[in-house]
Amino acid sequence: MANPQDMDPTEPPPVLPGFEHVRRSWNVTYAAYAARILPGEYYVTKSEEAVSTTLGSCISACIRDRNSGIGGMNHFMLPASLKDEPEAWTATGLNTATRYGNYAMEHLINAILRNGGQRQNLEVKIFGGGRILANMTDVGQRNINFVHEYLKTEGLPVIAEDVGDVFPRMVIYFPVSGMAKVKRLRSLHNNMIANQEKAYVDQLVQKPVAGEIELF
Amino acid sequence: MPVTASELVKDIDGLVTLPDVYFRINRLIEDPQSSTADIAKAVSQDPSFTVRLLQVANSSLYRFPSAVTTVSKAVSIIGTAQIRSLALAMSVAKSFAGLPNILVSMENFWRHSLFCALIARRLAREARRCDPDSLFTAGLLHDMGELVIFNRQPEQAEAALLMVLDSQDEVQIHQAERQVMGLDHAEVGGELARQWNLPSLLQECIAYHHSLAGAKQHPREVALVHLANVFALMAELDSLDPAEVSPIDPLAWELTGLGEDCAEMVVREAQAEIVEVEQLFT
Repeated sequence: MANPQDMDPTEPPPVLPGFEHVRRSWNVTYAAYAARILPGEYYVTKSEEAVSTTLGSCISACIRDRNSGIGGMNHFMLPASLKDEPEAWTATGLNTATRYGNYAMEHLINAILRNGGQRQNLEVKIFGGGRILANMTDVGQRNINFVHEYLKTEGLPVIAEDVGDVFPRMVIYFPVSGMAKVKRLRSLHNNMIANQEKAYVDQLVQKPVAGEIELF
Repeated sequence: MPVTASELVKDIDGLVTLPDVYFRINRLIEDPQSSTADIAKAVSQDPSFTVRLLQVANSSLYRFPSAVTTVSKAVSIIGTAQIRSLALAMSVAKSFAGLPNILVSMENFWRHSLFCALIARRLAREARRCDPDSLFTAGLLHDMGELVIFNRQPEQAEAALLMVLDSQDEVQIHQAERQVMGLDHAEVGGELARQWNLPSLLQECIAYHHSLAGAKQHPREVALVHLANVFALMAELDSLDPAEVSPIDPLAWELTGLGEDCAEMVVREAQAEIVEVEQLFT
């Protein structure tokens, strides 16, 4: 892999098919390109670059193949369950809310496997699930519980996490090295982040979840 | 046509006003013939201000050994010059209730401002030859330009906030504001302070807290507010790591004579004091 200091900062590294639309920009602090994902998105890479996102109560799983360094990140939240469905906290529960969570996790994992990652080498770090609005019900905790349960059921090891509490987080993850950095953001950003997440969740419940996903 | 700071400030005329008690106190303090008794009388004419002043006098901000029960005692403990600063500080949060916005919660905004006020006051004692109460007010008001921008130019303010997030927090809010609208909250706040005829120390602390080189009359105090602003972020995020907060202009250390090691003490103190002070000033 090229030494980051030798890289030409005007040329981003090759992007994997399907992720061309994700915005990438040069991050001065880490002297690397970073792809920024928004709520509902995910990004996978094999190159010397980072994936980053800003989390309020949403959750993000950072997953990589520890041998080949192929990996990426997602960013999602469980919508509130519909009134007539039982509240299920397990990944095997098939209510509407957990379907979205399964969808987000499976898409990320499939993309890693499709690009050469191997399931037995996967390792995970999780971030987010904060509580950033004073009158918010603890949706963050629901998201944390979901992802813990999902990963336990799938047998994927969580090697680090920074979840809960009352701060928004900016996360930057380098799949090649596995390094993840979390920066707490000042409360100036809370309303904006909460609004973005609400807009994402509102449009989520309007779209039907796609059909069964095949895992390789 | 891009808007200027002075246009924005003229726009809020009438939406935000300083209370009468502040102007009365200000006039008396400027008048060399007035006495402490005159000032106490002016304060007493505003009952809600009186109550809050007594609360402040009895708070940990002054640590007076016995209870302060009269206005004249409060005025003599706090000092007449400082009374004006406090009157301003106590009025501003209330007056800005006339400038709502959806971008930032007032609670979060004032919490940051109060952290800055407490820390600026503390740093003024460390740096010496700076009046702690003026620095308290300067710290409290340093970002008031934000409230004007959020209320008058909400779409552009939102674009600036998005720019900060998009840059992975590498661009600071005042830089983003300048890129989006050609002005920033320091300039707007300074212009508001000028139109309100606030003391030049306050005008400079507000206008130059992100651009120290511009402070010609009170560079030391401006540098203290600059430092206090960054330490306030440390207090809010509960982190002493300089990488977690915005960068400190090295000129600030030169101008104040303070060292990086003062951060921990002032941050921990502010975190301990914030709960009580939040109730006094908002």
